[in-house]
Amino acid sequence: MAVEQRISGVNPMGGLLYPDWQHAEHSTGTSIMACEFNGGVVIGADSRSTTGAYVANRVADKLTKVTDYIYCCRSGSSADTQAISDIVNYHLAFHRMELGTEPRVETAANVFRELCYNYRDSLMAGILVAGWDQYKGGQVYSVPLGGMCVRQPISIGGSGSSYIYGYVDANYKPGMDKEQCVELVKNSLALAMSRDGSSGGVIRIGVITENGIERSVVMGDKLPKFYEG
Amino acid sequence: MALVDREPSRYLPDYDVQAPKQLHFSPYADNGGSVVAIAGDDFSIIAADTRLSAGFSIYTRKQEKLFTLSSNTVLGCSGCWCDTLTLTRVMAARMQMYEHEHHKTMATPAAAQMLSTMLYYKRFFPYYVSNILAGLDSEGKGVIYRYDPVGHCEKNYYVAGGSSGALLQPLLDNQVGYLNQENVEKVPITKEKALAIIKDVFTSAAERDIYTGDGIFIKIITKDGIATDFFELRRD
Amino acid sequence: MSSILVPDIPAPGFSFDLCQRNSLLEKKGYPAPKAQKTGTTIVAIVYKDGVILGADTRATEGNIVADKLCSKIHYLADNMYCCGAGTAADTEATTNMISSQLELHRLNTNRVVPVVTAAKMLSQMLFRYQGHIGAALIVGGVDNAGPHVYCIYPHGSCDSLQYTTMGSGSLAAMSVFESQWRPNMSEEEGKELVADAIRAGVFNDLGSGSSVDLCVIRKGSVDYLRPYEMSCKKGEKQGTYRYKRGTTAVLQKSVRPIIIEDEMIQRVDHESMDTSS
Repeated sequence: MAVEQRISGVNPMGGLLYPDWQHAEHSTGTSIMACEFNGGVVIGADSRSTTGAYVANRVADKLTKVTDYIYCCRSGSSADTQAISDIVNYHLAFHRMELGTEPRVETAANVFRELCYNYRDSLMAGILVAGWDQYKGGQVYSVPLGGMCVRQPISIGGSGSSYIYGYVDANYKPGMDKEQCVELVKNSLALAMSRDGSSGGVIRIGVITENGIERSVVMGDKLPKFYEG
Repeated sequence: MALVDREPSRYLPDYDVQAPKQLHFSPYADNGGSVVAIAGDDFSIIAADTRLSAGFSIYTRKQEKLFTLSSNTVLGCSGCWCDTLTLTRVMAARMQMYEHEHHKTMATPAAAQMLSTMLYYKRFFPYYVSNILAGLDSEGKGVIYRYDPVGHCEKNYYVAGGSSGALLQPLLDNQVGYLNQENVEKVPITKEKALAIIKDVFTSAAERDIYTGDGIFIKIITKDGIATDFFELRRD
Repeated sequence: MSSILVPDIPAPGFSFDLCQRNSLLEKKGYPAPKAQKTGTTIVAIVYKDGVILGADTRATEGNIVADKLCSKIHYLADNMYCCGAGTAADTEATTNMISSQLELHRLNTNRVVPVVTAAKMLSQMLFRYQGHIGAALIVGGVDNAGPHVYCIYPHGSCDSLQYTTMGSGSLAAMSVFESQWRPNMSEEEGKELVADAIRAGVFNDLGSGSSVDLCVIRKGSVDYLRPYEMSCKKGEKQGTYRYKRGTTAVLQKSVRPIIIEDEMIQRVDHESMDTSS
């Protein structure tokens, strides 16, 4: 995804001579996805993190815990999104102690929104907040670049997402069960990763229900295969 | 669902300055390399390191940068390697044309003048090459000519050029030109001493200049012809 | 009010006093001197009993080697060390600051400081400065939870990994790790692998060179091997370069006699400290 590149380290023909690790921001060129089902949410992400053209981390974990029942999928600058999720994690831990119960997903999404909106000029973060609470069950909130916050039954994000909008629109049906959602997330992400150069690696999946999270990984050689033209 | 644009920039589009942007294409590359030459009464020695590099990477460790133009003229080049290749090819062609026209090999001073002319011909799109020409003059004495990229030519007896030129020239000034030395007998340099000094200055340059290393090719020009030598340098 | 006894304590943090003046000078054509950048190869791996950090020892200033034997593995705490790439001053200052905070943390908590604490402190500090502190770091250490390696970028992002590389030689070094690293390596295998990765950087990256430093951290012990190996032998000189006496020119000579005005001998007795008051 978008990475700042200075002229140094870039050869005249446009290719990178060597990774500009000094200046290029370490960012998660990403494919992320989250999907609600009755009783929980499914979240998914690829595992590639890039600095310019160089894969800085091929096993990155972009599904970041905020509370035991709320996770976020990070896209954009990894420094920014890590810092934001750390701060939200701190706020919600505090909130949870004062409340005595698990925070609502809506609350978490709004804390994310607050930070992303107030610092919209200096942050590059597109975040999907997903989780389960006792009031509204599984929920997905999207907090994109400018700091908006909107609930969606299914949401995709990151540079890879633009390749799969059509696929997701065609294949999402309201009222899908957990297995169907997991299948859709896997297939969508695999398609995004095969087309988007800055997404790749493995697919990390998380299913959050009232019993907490259940995480799994689809290895790089076990990804669902589609026609590649 | 359209939440994140495909390539979101650091600043939101509304804030972006809507001004024309100029992008540059640089036709030159600096491929590094150093050339050193010393002339004596009846010989001249020219040497160049064999590392070809760009940025922080090495293209090759065994690139000869000395071009034998005739039986007593050698040209050493460093800088933009693609310009070096073009320049030396044109130079060789011109030498051959001269030979056919005049039925004799071009002498070193003539070649030196021609190189200057060729460089100045490209005054406003120069060959990005630092040239050093070594050979023997009409009396068989060693001579060195050094050039800037646009054709300024200067006759010398010891010269260092290229990426570590600035590091080595003062050393040659002192050791070969006896500059800043009092009460020393200024004897003309012998072939053996010149060879030793050349090897030593490159050893020193390889210590401190990242674009010089791997090895040096040495050409020793005498009236009997051109002898070649190779000397290893550090490879890091 | 300040006095000699109670000096003014400078405000904490960086001073930006001269930024305006410097930008003015730069516009007038006096650019600021460049900071020393360590074009570097630094690496770290997790092995069976701990972690191994590695670094080359070349510091560059443009195309000139500024330091042939600089140390890039910095001390953080007894159980963790940190490799630094980027602006030399930044890596040095950052690791020193965090090191002191970690020691205070250790004394406060009376426990072995977790490696993640150091990594978080570093990444939070670097994030606060938005990449202006040009320090790319690899933190390695062993705590009660086992061995850890963290990789921290100048903008403040942080990855936890089993093996990682940084600096201009990171690609060369990573190619060695990606082909040869395995989980649960023995110490000897680990050291040789890390040295191989650094050597890949030393020989193939112009910003890295000279020798290999290693730091092996196990539970309860550390081996700081500096240098572990001199990768490149310095060339031998052909001639001698000693000057004869009198070679240096004497430009001016002036002799000044020492004038003795007075001669005095004073005995200094041992004086006991005054403890009366």
